[in-house]
Amino acid sequence: MDNDLYSFALKNTLDEIRNLCPDLKNAFMFKEDGELTAADENTPQKTIVSIVDAFDGLLEKADTVGGIELIAIEGNKGGANVSHMNNHYLVTVTSENADRNYVNTTTHILVTTVLKLLEKISPAPLKNHPSETETRPEIPAIKTDEEPAEQPAEKPATVEPEQSTKPEALQEEPTASQFMVEDIGGLLVSADTVRLDKETLLQWQELYEDRNIEEVEIETFEGKSVRCKIKPIKDSKQDGKGIVQIPQKIQRTLQIRKGELVKVKPILE
Amino acid sequence: MTKKKKGIQMIGQVTEPIAIDLTVSVNDLRAKLEEIQKQDGVIGYILRNTSSASIDLKDPAKLIDYALLSSSALDASEELSELFALGNVRSVLVEGKNIKMLSLIVDGNRISVFMEKNVDSEVLRKTLCEK
Repeated sequence: MDNDLYSFALKNTLDEIRNLCPDLKNAFMFKEDGELTAADENTPQKTIVSIVDAFDGLLEKADTVGGIELIAIEGNKGGANVSHMNNHYLVTVTSENADRNYVNTTTHILVTTVLKLLEKISPAPLKNHPSETETRPEIPAIKTDEEPAEQPAEKPATVEPEQSTKPEALQEEPTASQFMVEDIGGLLVSADTVRLDKETLLQWQELYEDRNIEEVEIETFEGKSVRCKIKPIKDSKQDGKGIVQIPQKIQRTLQIRKGELVKVKPILE
Repeated sequence: MTKKKKGIQMIGQVTEPIAIDLTVSVNDLRAKLEEIQKQDGVIGYILRNTSSASIDLKDPAKLIDYALLSSSALDASEELSELFALGNVRSVLVEGKNIKMLSLIVDGNRISVFMEKNVDSEVLRKTLCEK
């Protein structure tokens, strides 16, 4: 769901930028690993795949210059920019007589703002949503799929038929929640333990009340997953921020780093 | 050859016949690049065409890395230009966190100039493109 949310928000942003800057012919974004994030309606996916392939070699060699921040291409019939922002590459193609400064400034400001906004809200998309919390107070704060969360037995009026008839079946399949990766350091840090905020752990305890949760499964959006022990984050200031603190060793195993999103699912015992 | 010993300077020649005007153009470009190379913040350059290549870099250990980057940047840009109908690629500027590279195609010569980020690449581009 969050990937779709990301893509939807970014696609709309790119379309709006194109409306704002008619000289912008094409705009699309892809992640550092080459995965397409969003594209305006004018750019065929086949073209994007070819571009990502073409730039793959160049981006790999970018360590020579300390990593790519910007590639500006000027042709005699137009220009293109590839900008690195928040772990994404934004490609913009402009017509020959375009005011490239204007297009680039507008694009950069809007896309960066939307990306930052998405990164802030995406780890906890429902957490601070008033209508959701008012109408369904018992639903866990962070969900990554569309399935409604199971309701506690004492509130049958709000429970959907399938859930009320199969509460145990749902509990067998704990839903994954999405969190942003934070580093965890220190001498006493266990390399096989991740930390989540107490609020989330409490919600899991309420949801799976007769089950012991000592481990979680962390899965990346590339499909890599590990199972590791879980402990609460010590710093209460981190509560409710939608972060998961992961030791470097596990981050390397999953090929992720600070700021990226992962799915975390409790292992029920 | 210049007197300086701080960097590597290589000129390779192949036996293909070279048109006189091309030679003039290459010599002219090489002269411009040698002047550019003296500027503060300029790290080096690579100049190559179908028949020869000149490389002058302050850090010879980076030669292969820079050559690969230069080649990849121009190739990728040409592909992008073809897909989006941008015409002939005039210039490619690759900005990294530490340094930047300006690549140009002038009269069939592929030039890449490596510089620190505070160098005005637009001035270099104009210098290299002016006849």
